[in-house]
Amino acid sequence: MSQHLSSLEVSQWMIGERTPQQEQHVRQCSQCSAELARLEASLALFRGSVRHWSDRQSRVPRPLAPTRRSRWYPARPHPMRWALVAAALLVLAAAPIYRNAQDRQRQAEIARADALLLEQVDAEVSRAVPRPMEPLVKLVSWDFTSTDERDQNRRDKTRNEEIR
Amino acid sequence: MATPGTMIAAVERCASEIDDLDTLVRLHWPRVFRFALASLRDPDAAGSVAQDCFLRAYRSRQRFRGECSTEAWLMRIAVNLIRDYARNRRLQFWKRAQTSAVDLDAAGQWVPDGGASPESGAMAKEQLAAVWNAAGGLSERQRTVFLLRFVEDMDLLEIAVATGMKEGTVKVHLFRALQAVRERMGRSQ
Repeated sequence: MSQHLSSLEVSQWMIGERTPQQEQHVRQCSQCSAELARLEASLALFRGSVRHWSDRQSRVPRPLAPTRRSRWYPARPHPMRWALVAAALLVLAAAPIYRNAQDRQRQAEIARADALLLEQVDAEVSRAVPRPMEPLVKLVSWDFTSTDERDQNRRDKTRNEEIR
Repeated sequence: MATPGTMIAAVERCASEIDDLDTLVRLHWPRVFRFALASLRDPDAAGSVAQDCFLRAYRSRQRFRGECSTEAWLMRIAVNLIRDYARNRRLQFWKRAQTSAVDLDAAGQWVPDGGASPESGAMAKEQLAAVWNAAGGLSERQRTVFLLRFVEDMDLLEIAVATGMKEGTVKVHLFRALQAVRERMGRSQ
């Protein structure tokens, strides 16, 4: 075979359709071998650029189906794990102390309120009349002395005026 | 030649691989994603198609009888998903393709650093851009077989399994795709 490969034969060559005569010609013909090499190089470049682009863009997803491990346990411990545990323990330890102090404060307040109430009760008990009736006491002058005493008082008063 | 024993072992290996979704994803994600990305030219769409592909494969694993490799089976699901995606969301696809044009330009300009001269580097970039453009202009079937052959390095029989076409039909589409690409490359020179 002395003729160069036609355009159709070059494409057929690239998809694997080649005769022994064509193979022999390509081995001897620098023009045809250069043509095929150029085409193969362009396709290899294309393959490389697709792979390069794909590698940059590809993010293999997390497992599409949940696994037993990922369902119950974190795959990696959290970096702040120990700090979180320490903080939780601190809160647990501080809780009873805080509650004790609050209880003591509440008891002191109750005792103060009781004392005040007792004072009020004492004051009420020592009154002559109940507090709501105090205005009436001011309006009406109560006299608890007997009639004889009143007469004696009146006589004393008259005598004193006569002497004067 | 494969003996019944080796065939059974291969089928069992495929079945166990498919039963473990994590392993399936880990082993085959790069290839499925790459094919979806090259076909759709949209990283987000490629990611969702790839995820859908693995979920479908996992859900229909009972129907997998080991007639082909796990990879060919996954690629067949991916081919169908990409075809449906491109048909159903043509408008969104083109909108997205425009938004990811920067990435696509970068991919079309990528040339490995092999110490080439500036002239040959520029020429290689031109050739690469021509292939990218030509691949974008191919029909859906031509683009699929072109990508499976020249990006994924699959042989004609594997492509036939993945696309559901006969081997002769694959050959015809591949030939036409190559002619179109070469014509575009010739114009860019």
